Amino acid sequence: MASNAAVPFWRAAGMTYITYSNICANLVRNCLKEPYKTEALTREKVHFAVSKWVDSKPQKSSMIRIFLDLGFLRCAIRSDTEEE
Amino acid sequence: MAMAALRREGRRFAAPLISPQPIRSSLIAEEQAPLGVRSISTQVVRNRMKSVKNIQKITKAMKMVAASKLRAIQTRAENSRGLWQPFTALLGDAPSVDVKKNVIVTISSDKGLCGGINSTSVKISKAMHKLTAGPEKETKYVILGEKAKAQLIRDSKKDIELSITELQKNPLNYTQVSVLADDILKNVEYDALRIIFNKFHSVVSFLPTMSTVLSPEVVEREAESGGKLGDLDSYEIEGGETKGEILQNLAEFQFSCVLFNAVLENACSEQGARMSAMDSSSRNAGEMLDRLTLTYNRTRQASITTELIEIISGASALEG
Repeated sequence: MASNAAVPFWRAAGMTYITYSNICANLVRNCLKEPYKTEALTREKVHFAVSKWVDSKPQKSSMIRIFLDLGFLRCAIRSDTEEE
Repeated sequence: MAMAALRREGRRFAAPLISPQPIRSSLIAEEQAPLGVRSISTQVVRNRMKSVKNIQKITKAMKMVAASKLRAIQTRAENSRGLWQPFTALLGDAPSVDVKKNVIVTISSDKGLCGGINSTSVKISKAMHKLTAGPEKETKYVILGEKAKAQLIRDSKKDIELSITELQKNPLNYTQVSVLADDILKNVEYDALRIIFNKFHSVVSFLPTMSTVLSPEVVEREAESGGKLGDLDSYEIEGGETKGEILQNLAEFQFSCVLFNAVLENACSEQGARMSAMDSSSRNAGEMLDRLTLTYNRTRQASITTELIEIISGASALEG
């Protein structure tokens, strides 16, 4: 390893532990068998509207997180393992 | 036209009757009725009674809905307590820690009609802000929910860092709250995060509570001063990670778990508060309905008496 501390690959890629554990949980949920799988996948829906405040004003371009599952995050982890 | 005038007259004289003056109202009816008015209209009182009855039905229905939602979410909130308890056992909860950058996460509801829980949360957040203010210290707000945002905008606009709404559109789950926690961690610099929410003790009691999550650097600093955190060194670390890394992972996960529990408990408290608010509202509507019924009956009887008097005096005038 080049760095002093043995930083795990996901930390080096800028992910927090929370994102890492969410991806792992998503992978586990996708391994379930059918009736339990759809039930578990309903527990993955994310929806909220966040707006950052700058100079006492909320920014109009508020980031609305509406992704229904964490599939998009899987590409991040795949590219890291390919590098190693 | 004449009927309209009559009705208008009736309304003008029925209005003072509605005020709660039980003894005088029948006298007022007979004194103020001018010549030509047949009977005092009870239409106004009847309209009011109808609307109050509708309100009572609606608030009763809202109470039932809140009760069923409470049942659904209560078990989840109680089960989620097991998520943060090991963290408190390991790292302790240090509300009195003195740090430079405090971030106050206020949790409130998006919808109203839930009693005073949002106001108490905001009151405690403001008190916390005052407590942690000082030279070289910075305190910022992260607001979850519309109601706290509306209240905090009024006087703490410049201290708001992030505001989050529409959290309860889908049923609450850990993934959602953890993504939210991730957002907060990425966008806000903090030494200590103070999460303020209403803890659900029972259907009638929700106490505002504060949970503190420290950043890993502060944990290191506090570990040197001993106490619970000082015992961290006695733990053996497996795997290839250093203590600093583990603390960082733990801090992030702790925040996510504590936030999840806080959001669930606040949702429970919201439903419980809504139940009791709607319950007292239906009870008040019932009492109002009773008073209006009495007034209505009195008005009705007064108008009947007036008619009878007219008829009888007219008949006796004919005879005599």
